[in-house]
Amino acid sequence: MIELNVLSRFYMREEVMFTDPAPNFNFDPHSAEFAADPYTTYAAMRAIDMPYYWEEADTWMLTKMADVEAVALNKNMLRNNEAFVSEIDRKEQQRAINFHDMPYHERYVQVNLLESEGETHSRLRKVVFREFTPAMISRQREAIQTFVDGLLEELSDQNEIDFVSDFAAHVPGHIIGRVLGVPDEDAPKLRHWSEEVVRFFDPGREDADKARAEFATKEFYEYLLDLLATREAALQDDLLSRLIGHRDAGQLSQDELISTAMLILMAGHGSTIDVLGSGMHALLRFPDQNQRLRDDAALMKTAVQEMFRFESPLPYFHRFATEETEVGGRKFPAGTRFGLLYGAANHDPVRFDNPDKFDVGRSPNRHLAFGGGGHFCLGNHLARLDMDVIFSSINARFSGIELADTKVEYKRGLSVRGPKALRMGWKRA
Amino acid sequence: MVKLTFLKADGSQVETDVAPGNSLMQAAVNAGVDAIAAECGGACACGTCHCVLPQDWFERVAAPASDEIDMLEFVIEPQPTSRLSCQVVVTEEMQDMVISVPDTQV
Repeated sequence: MIELNVLSRFYMREEVMFTDPAPNFNFDPHSAEFAADPYTTYAAMRAIDMPYYWEEADTWMLTKMADVEAVALNKNMLRNNEAFVSEIDRKEQQRAINFHDMPYHERYVQVNLLESEGETHSRLRKVVFREFTPAMISRQREAIQTFVDGLLEELSDQNEIDFVSDFAAHVPGHIIGRVLGVPDEDAPKLRHWSEEVVRFFDPGREDADKARAEFATKEFYEYLLDLLATREAALQDDLLSRLIGHRDAGQLSQDELISTAMLILMAGHGSTIDVLGSGMHALLRFPDQNQRLRDDAALMKTAVQEMFRFESPLPYFHRFATEETEVGGRKFPAGTRFGLLYGAANHDPVRFDNPDKFDVGRSPNRHLAFGGGGHFCLGNHLARLDMDVIFSSINARFSGIELADTKVEYKRGLSVRGPKALRMGWKRA
Repeated sequence: MVKLTFLKADGSQVETDVAPGNSLMQAAVNAGVDAIAAECGGACACGTCHCVLPQDWFERVAAPASDEIDMLEFVIEPQPTSRLSCQVVVTEEMQDMVISVPDTQV
């Protein structure tokens, strides 16, 4: 367990003179207790008047909506620290967080659209943005509906399923795979690689996880290389073919094409599976809201937004300050690393009335589940369309949905949020 | 303070007073104009704060940068005087300006 560290105690004494300098909470995002309920810890962290220093990751954790939003929108806060750290120091930092000696991961995962800034980020984002506009994404509705209908039909004779492994796990990978141009039958492989790679982003990286992440990246790379060769021989109406066109037009390099394709596939996988699971869990934990949604299908749009707010599937990102910056009422030097706890900000009572209540009609609902600022999630329209189609289809086809096992365990860690499994009963409506 | 009016697609109007230096997007969001989704928070990164300026104002405010022009290509039903409201800074001269907002951004 990590107690409030000495540095934070000093600052607390210095700046909050008339309150107890030692908040009564432990911040241990690896623990089972945190996985079961991060929001009690987040509330305690919000209650202190300044950011909380997390020694393990040398990071100042932000939990208030105002602070998280301000940093996400601050153009002087960057995803990487290349601008003010020498190459030698950067390599040393990579070593310190066990992000070194993994050539494929370093080349195709650690460097990509998400991790870039400035000209590179603008150029790559422009290439990808046009593929994920509402108009482009709406073209996928029929294909999503057909796939979801087929999967639900297969499951409809079962009285009890694990919603996560039997259903949710199959959907996002197929959909994003189709957008990119990956054959349906390869979706399970992509999901496996994505999970292996993404897991390694959580703080506390073990060597075993590192080896798995590197191996998965290598396999992922080799797979994409083969697929690219196929597409180059015969271009199709898919994202991969259009990326080839952009590459040939000089808008992105071959490495950038691979890392972008990898990022799109990874970003479109796990987090949507997680929020499908937590969204269904929320509906079952709040039966009045479930019934309200069943009675009024027009609430689906706000219900989906609320699912993202209530259990934000990617609750943690970071930024580096490139210059001295004031955050949460105190100044921090250039180079400071901030943790943006979107999951905490999305439960901040200053922004949301009754933030721990799941409200399918919540409006406005200005949450940060898709991040904020220049790195705002490009796949947000696709994720929301997936959710809309899925929950509408389930409500139309099934009734009497209830938890078969009320003990629902959530994944451990800071960077992801979603149930490991969700056993539930249902019957054909 | 500068008085602005947001004209919604259904013909209703929302009047608001905003301090110069804020963006049109901030003014709309603070006034509860739901049609300005502004999902990225004002970074010219999502294209969900589309608004349409009166012709005379469009010519008088600072011209859109290339990033904004790129984004405007993808908004729903762009008009010749379309702008992303997060990129338009409110000035004293904008007193009584009427800004049209679309029915939906997505």
